[in-house]
Amino acid sequence: MKSSKPGIYRSRRKSISTETIAFMFASIIVIGLISLICYIWATQGDQPPILMVSRTQPIRQEQGQYYVPFTLKNLGGRTAESVQVIGELKHNERTLELGEQQIDFLSSHEEEEGAFIFSQDPRRGELTIRVASYKLP
Amino acid sequence: MRQIQLPTRQEWSAEIQDWLRGAAGGFLFGIPLLYTMEVWWIGSYVEPPLMLVVLAITSSIVFLLNRTDGFRQSSPDSSQQAAMDSLEAIAIGVLSVTAILFLLREIDATTPLSEALGKIVLEGMPFTIGVALARSILSGMRDQRGDAESDSSGKAEKIHHLANNHHNAALADLGATLVGAIFIAFSIAPTDEVPLLAAASSPSWLLSILIASLLISYCIVFVAGFTTQEHRLQQQGAFQHPLVETVMAYLVSLIAAALMLWIFHRLSLADPWTVWLERTLILGLPATIGGAAGRLAI
Repeated sequence: MKSSKPGIYRSRRKSISTETIAFMFASIIVIGLISLICYIWATQGDQPPILMVSRTQPIRQEQGQYYVPFTLKNLGGRTAESVQVIGELKHNERTLELGEQQIDFLSSHEEEEGAFIFSQDPRRGELTIRVASYKLP
Repeated sequence: MRQIQLPTRQEWSAEIQDWLRGAAGGFLFGIPLLYTMEVWWIGSYVEPPLMLVVLAITSSIVFLLNRTDGFRQSSPDSSQQAAMDSLEAIAIGVLSVTAILFLLREIDATTPLSEALGKIVLEGMPFTIGVALARSILSGMRDQRGDAESDSSGKAEKIHHLANNHHNAALADLGATLVGAIFIAFSIAPTDEVPLLAAASSPSWLLSILIASLLISYCIVFVAGFTTQEHRLQQQGAFQHPLVETVMAYLVSLIAAALMLWIFHRLSLADPWTVWLERTLILGLPATIGGAAGRLAI
C-alpha cells in the first residue's frame, strides 16, 4: 500500500505532520510560560520585603582571620534592592570591629550567602549580624 | 491507522533545520542583551502583568515580521501561518534563552520562579525578534555573496581560482571569523558582565559553555540551512572539514576574545592563567556566534 501511493502520503505528511507537531510542542511551551506567569501573579503576596539574616555555618579560621558565613533570605512578596547587611563585633559594649555588605537585588524567597571577616575571634565577644536597610526597586 | 504515521526522517530534519535557523538568528540578535546585567536585575523584579504585556508586544512584532518574511518561509504568509510561526518563534526564543541563562548561571535550581520568568521573558524579547528575522539577516549575506559571484566572468574566474586554493579559502574563513567575533564581542568585552559571569562559573560550567559555543557555531554554519552551507560542505582541504573548521574558528574567536579583554583592561599580564581562561571562555561564546555569522557573510 505504502509503495503504491508514495506521493500522496508524502504530501499529506508534509502539510500536517512535522509542522503540526512543532506547533503543538511550541504551544505547550508558550501556554506553560503564560500559565506560570499567571500562577505567580495569583499567588504572590503584595507584602513588602521581609529580610531575615541567619548564621547556618560555623565560624572558620583561615590565616589568622575569622570568617563568619551568613545567609540572607527575603520572606516577603516584593523584591528588595540595595539590601545593607551589617556585622558588628562588640566586647563590653564597645565596638571592636564593624563590617558592612550590600546585596544588589533580593527577589521574593531568594537566598544569598556571604561572609564577614574579623581579625579578632568573634566567639569571645558579642557578634551581631543584622539587616540595616533596603530600598524598593 | 496508516494515516497517522510519523513523519519521515527527511521531514524531521527539515523541521529541525527551520528551528535551528530560527535559533541562530535569535543568538545573533539576542546575545548582546543576554550579557547585560541590568536586564537580569530588571528581570528579577518585573511584575507578572508587565511580563504578559512584554509577551504580547513581542508576539505582535514577530507576527508582523512573519507576515512578510519570518524564519521559515521567505514569501509573505497567511495570517494563520504567520500566527503559528510566531508561536513557534516565541517557543524557540524561550527555550534558547532559558538554556543560555542556565549556562551563564543566571538561573539555577535555587532561583525563585518569578525571577527566572522575568529574566526569560525580558531576554526572550530581542531573541524572539531575532528568530523571526533569521532568514532576512542571513539571507542578505547570501544575496550579497551571490551578486559578487555573478558580477563578471573575469571576477568569477578569480573567485573560482581562490576557491580552489585551500589556503586562501581557509585564510578567508579565519579572517571572516575574526571580523565577526570582534563585531559581536567588542561591545561586551569592556563591560563588568564578563568578570561577574566568570566569578559565578565553575570548571564544569565552563566546560559546558565551551561545548555550547562549538555546537552553536557548528549549527549556524553547517546545519541551519543558511546560504553557503552546501558550498561549505563540499569544500575540500585540511581546514575545510566542518569539524576542523568549527574548532579552528573557535580558537580564533577565543584569541580575539582574550585580546579584546586585554585591550579593555579586563585582563592583565599579572592575572593568573585561570582568570584568563575563565574570562576568555565566557566572552568566547558571543565571539564564536559572531565568528559563525562572519563566515556566512563571505
